[in-house]
Amino acid sequence: MLAACVAAMLAPGLARAATKTEAQAALAAARKAEAAAGAVRNRWLPAEAALKQAAQALAAGQYDGSVAVSERARALANRSIQQAKEQDGLWQNEVIR
Amino acid sequence: MHLLIPSARLRQVALLAGALGAMALARMPARAATTPNPEADRLAFRAYFKQRFPAVKNGDWGNGPYAVNAGMRQQWEAIMQFPPYDFALGDGEKEFHRRFADGKTYADCFPDKGIGIRQNYPYFDTKTGKVITLGIAINRCRVANGEKPLNYQKGLMASIEAYMAHTSRGKPFDIKIPNDPRALAAYEDGRKFFYSRRGQLNFSCASCHVQAAGQRLRGDILAPALGILAAFPIYRSDWGSMGTIQRRFTSCNVQVRSVPFKPQDKTYRDLEYFLSYMSNGVPITGPGARP
Repeated sequence: MLAACVAAMLAPGLARAATKTEAQAALAAARKAEAAAGAVRNRWLPAEAALKQAAQALAAGQYDGSVAVSERARALANRSIQQAKEQDGLWQNEVIR
Repeated sequence: MHLLIPSARLRQVALLAGALGAMALARMPARAATTPNPEADRLAFRAYFKQRFPAVKNGDWGNGPYAVNAGMRQQWEAIMQFPPYDFALGDGEKEFHRRFADGKTYADCFPDKGIGIRQNYPYFDTKTGKVITLGIAINRCRVANGEKPLNYQKGLMASIEAYMAHTSRGKPFDIKIPNDPRALAAYEDGRKFFYSRRGQLNFSCASCHVQAAGQRLRGDILAPALGILAAFPIYRSDWGSMGTIQRRFTSCNVQVRSVPFKPQDKTYRDLEYFLSYMSNGVPITGPGARP
């Protein structure tokens, strides 16, 4: 099952250049996710760096690159939110008793 | 929790692996939260470190890595022949006794004229419902006497704190938690932060200063959490200058790839409150020097 999932993900997709609108949408989604990470007070530095990089690529007209980095920023932001939610209970496991 | 993957395909694999990992983590049960009991926590904290490092004497916890590693201690003793914080100490003493434009000095703002009181900070202010660190008290004093507030992380603030810590050397931490639910909430907030993993590297304060205390992290020996704030402010060779507790919190968070809070953010003040309370009974050793 896992092997099939990984194989499917590795299969080559259709090659099509991203548009400016798509790059803008990807960046907006990443910023929204990072804002949500800020709301749980758990932003990650690499997410911030990726957002900056994505914005720079967008401004330079590198839409494919901008979309890719925006997706990475959004993934990082989502992981930081997940971490905060998990730690809300898991921190108790580390307490010296 | 590492996601710095260069290619899109590898990134997809990493996301899948991350999702599977998250599912596994989600199944780990968390212990049920209990009512905070600071004194029971402190006794357990102390017992843990005494068991881990039985040779360390009470007066030595404030010396951090030098208390638990003979090689580091030897280097430190050589360095302390000419302590790197001496210039800051001198600057701090001079500033502490300088008269403000209104004729008052810092001494007029503090109990016992500000001498030998560092071990009582931070304290919980029942009027404002907030934790007051020494840095906040210093800036309050300045503003009340027509001076501009100082940077909370370094410079003159660290120098003044160095002088005040020096006048408290040998006095044990004596942090109070008043019978006020807000004080207990602040303590608990700091405790939660201390034990919560954060940042892309998924480290908590406890990951380094409890679980890995005394071990190496690259070239450094990780200081035990017990007494870790007793040496502040410190001259840190890595910084090439003096820094306050707030500066160290900030840099620790950056090291685990977490966006740090602003100095004196409520969470950092609460963390300082918790950690200082855990060190009650440990003598002040500041100002200190660290690699």
